[in-house]
Amino acid sequence: MRRLKINIENLSKSFSGKNVLKKLNLKVYESESLAIIGESGSGKSVLTKCIDGLLDYDSGFISYDKIRNIKELNSKKKNAYMTKFGILFQNAALFDSLTIEENLRFAKKDCDLSKILVDVSLPKSILQEYPSNLSIGVQKRIGLARAILKDPEILILDEPTTGLDPIIGRQIILLIKKLVKKNKITTITVTHDMESVYEFSDYTAFIKNGKISWYGKSKDILKSRNKPLINFINGIY
Amino acid sequence: MNQFLKKFINYLKKIGDLSFGIFCSIGEIVLFFIECVKYIFLDKFYPKVFLAQLIKIGYNSLPVVGLTSIFTGMVLALQSYTGFSRFSAESAIPNVVVLSITRELAPVLAGLMVAGRSGAAIAAEIGTMKVTEQIDALKTLSTNPYNYLIVPRILAGLISLPFLVFIGDIIGVFGGYLICTQVLNFNPTVYLQNTFNFVQFLDVFSGLVKACVFGFIITFMGCYHGFNAKGGAQGVGMSTTYSVVSSSILILLTNYILTSLFFDL
Ligand SMILES: Nc1ncnc2c1ncn2[C@@H]1O[C@H](COP(=O)(O)OP(=O)(O)OP(=O)(O)O)[C@@H](O)[C@H]1O
Ligand SMILES: [Mg+2]
Repeated sequence: MRRLKINIENLSKSFSGKNVLKKLNLKVYESESLAIIGESGSGKSVLTKCIDGLLDYDSGFISYDKIRNIKELNSKKKNAYMTKFGILFQNAALFDSLTIEENLRFAKKDCDLSKILVDVSLPKSILQEYPSNLSIGVQKRIGLARAILKDPEILILDEPTTGLDPIIGRQIILLIKKLVKKNKITTITVTHDMESVYEFSDYTAFIKNGKISWYGKSKDILKSRNKPLINFINGIY
Repeated sequence: MNQFLKKFINYLKKIGDLSFGIFCSIGEIVLFFIECVKYIFLDKFYPKVFLAQLIKIGYNSLPVVGLTSIFTGMVLALQSYTGFSRFSAESAIPNVVVLSITRELAPVLAGLMVAGRSGAAIAAEIGTMKVTEQIDALKTLSTNPYNYLIVPRILAGLISLPFLVFIGDIIGVFGGYLICTQVLNFNPTVYLQNTFNFVQFLDVFSGLVKACVFGFIITFMGCYHGFNAKGGAQGVGMSTTYSVVSSSILILLTNYILTSLFFDL
């Protein structure tokens, strides 16, 4: 039995006259892993930022559990709402004036950090480093650790493998798969990379022209007759 | 004729857009100001960040402010000597030096120097955090960016500028003393007597009040432009330029207003 977690209806968002999302509908179910795919600039990041409250949308609504429309939350409740999400940002977004340890402490004050470091397979010595001294692959693993450490209800991963070489990318995918499947976290992954879709996403939504043009089980993607989706996948491979 | 009308309407439209834009930015700045003031009193205070900013904005600016003040004091003494010796009023030099330094030059020059130094750094740092989504990350990690980033910087500016200016006052007067006693053969004791007997509490105090206001302007403009930076490295560059230009202009403007207010006292 799938339990509805987030319901998005007729969501529209534009930036200075440019419509990015046009009456988009999408449902996210609890403990499932959803992939959002689509061309660059199609509004994937904007969609996730509307969901986690970082961007205000123009019209439509997003409901979350018992919250009817997150746009109507006052600023205090909105801040509380945002903390339900653990987010791995597109470029990790680690605080570069702080050490890795201080970065992780932002997510959780008192806890043993060595366990989470084992989870993302990094040595303990990394804690004293500064983000700018680390490769982007390591930064993304720290970003992932920071997102998971706060025990989020929803995990949002914005292009976890983009900009990494295939081997490191593969490592990150397996890492996410392990963490997501182990903890049964509801996960939304924005990606260009079909391997992440097949490896750990139960469902996939394909975004095109500001709408969800295809939605279904990830393993059914190749059976789809949706022309833009087929083109998109062929373009990638 | 039709052509001319079209051009004229286009011209009007441009003026309209421009004034609309100006009002929009003023509105945004006022809203940002209200938000900042609100969070000075609300929610969490981060003493560690505040101390770090005090050191960055205050302590680390000491060399530039000291250097500016001493040279200004020296030049002031030389120039007023040129003028005053023409009608044998050399004894007024200490008065001119101490008045100009404490009332105008130390606050304004320190303000402009710190705007270039710390205001730009604040805009660049916060702007970079904005465009690399670090500010978004703060929000989802239950940290209010106003409390964490902006309030400590504004308070540090408010507090450190008066200290910097006070030290600048002393160094500036010392610069004048140096030139007069070493180059122009003044009697050191008489010079100091003339200085301290003449200067009033209000002279120094008005300078320090100005410094407070400038400290606020510098850090506020740095935070505002950084917080609204858009679109990558270029956007961050623009935000630092805007922050330095706008705070310099505001410093000169409010300096005039404050001087005329104090002048009436
Ligand atoms: N803050 C903003 N201001 C103005 N326009 C924006 C803003 N954020 C996004 N956009 C625009 O919205 C569109 C969608 O952007 P978005 O970042 O969601 O794309 P994306 O699908 O995540 O692409 P990518 O795969 O490159 O990350 C882009 O055309 C972008 O220019
Ligand atoms: Mg994106």
